[in-house]
Amino acid sequence: MNALDRALLVAARELAAERRHPDGFVAALTFTGLLVLMESLAFGPGQARQPGVASALYWIAILFAATLVTTRSFDRELEDDAIDAVLVLSGGREALYVGKLVAITAVLAIVALAAAALSLVLLDPGVALAGHLVLVGVLGILALPPVIVLVTLLALRVRARVALVPILSFPILIPQLIACTEGAAAALSGDMSAALGWAALLAAFALVYGVLGLTIVPAAIE
Amino acid sequence: MIETTAAPFPTIRVRPWLGPLAIASSLIASFMALVWAPTDAVQGDVYRIIYVHVPLAWLAYLAFFVVFLASLGWLWTKRPWFDALAVASAEVGVLFTGMFIVAGSIWAKPTWGVWWTWDPRLVTTAVMFMMYVGYLLLRSLSTDFSRRATRAAVIGVIAVIDIPIVHLSVLWMNSLHQLPTVLRAGGSPSLDATMGMTLGISVLAFTLLYFWFLAERLSIELDRQRRMLEARA
Repeated sequence: MNALDRALLVAARELAAERRHPDGFVAALTFTGLLVLMESLAFGPGQARQPGVASALYWIAILFAATLVTTRSFDRELEDDAIDAVLVLSGGREALYVGKLVAITAVLAIVALAAAALSLVLLDPGVALAGHLVLVGVLGILALPPVIVLVTLLALRVRARVALVPILSFPILIPQLIACTEGAAAALSGDMSAALGWAALLAAFALVYGVLGLTIVPAAIE
Repeated sequence: MIETTAAPFPTIRVRPWLGPLAIASSLIASFMALVWAPTDAVQGDVYRIIYVHVPLAWLAYLAFFVVFLASLGWLWTKRPWFDALAVASAEVGVLFTGMFIVAGSIWAKPTWGVWWTWDPRLVTTAVMFMMYVGYLLLRSLSTDFSRRATRAAVIGVIAVIDIPIVHLSVLWMNSLHQLPTVLRAGGSPSLDATMGMTLGISVLAFTLLYFWFLAERLSIELDRQRRMLEARA
């Protein structure tokens, strides 16, 4: 079994577990919906419809959802000590990182899609460049999990992990959050070149942190 | 298997001199900054906080770069000395970064009219501060020595990315903050010679202060490691 097969096996196992007990997915979906709703109410309908505000509300909700999905995914592993079995395998650490990354990205994509539909219905911000908005959305979903999965792996079995993961990962994710927000706002308001520029930056972040995570994870988990 | 703590660090012979040197140079720098350096034509005497603010900025960069190097050292060799160096430098770095933000805020009030503004330099510095507070928090919440050191080292390696972002943020984004005065690409420092000399002495004094604090904190950490290893044995 090669490295890719091992990673896909971890991802398939993760998705199967999520399908059997979708508590992480349901929690993230509910939390995201609630957050979009509450933030919109806090800003008021007029302000929340503006492209910059609407995209910021959406991506902050997605950032929290990504943390929630990842934390729940590793909680499940720790509850039955399944993670130890994966870690002792040859190449298990890389497989765990990539597999988790693939599965969490897939779950997050569904949450993001539902949250996008909710935001568009509730806020009705008007979409000038739908294709570019989808591009920024896809790349944003790819750019967030590499950092969160890496930090969650580092904080595994640490006290107050639930608080520590956002404290460590959010400052690192600020450039990605800005790129997601600005890119989506540009797509909503019809600025094609800005949307493409931010999308390219998100692709670079996804690649850099994906490779960095894959390089660091074998040394980082003991 | 963790090796026992390395032999006393190489700075042991200069360590007794660091304190007196740091205090003496700080007194000289204070005299130069408050008396010898001329008053700025635009800002008046308010500008003199530059002799604290810029050295603190330099030390924030230096301290976190040392954390980065020490983190690489730990990941590469697993020698506890590197972990001790990383935590010592991170703590001193957080202290100096906090003071850097406070000094900047004090300078901002009379020049910009506000204590805080959402300027790229200010925000990226605050993010850097939070990153290293998180680094120290991660250390304090981990119990196993080796795991704690490795986890912290990874964060120490990743967080260094913020140093160039902080420094270059004023070039990349629209900023109220002035452009780099000393460390600027393709040009000599844009300062009057007397001011430049005073700033140089201030930077030297603060750097000595950093190494003094670092040596003392490193010594405490090595003692702690030694006691921990003895207790384990």
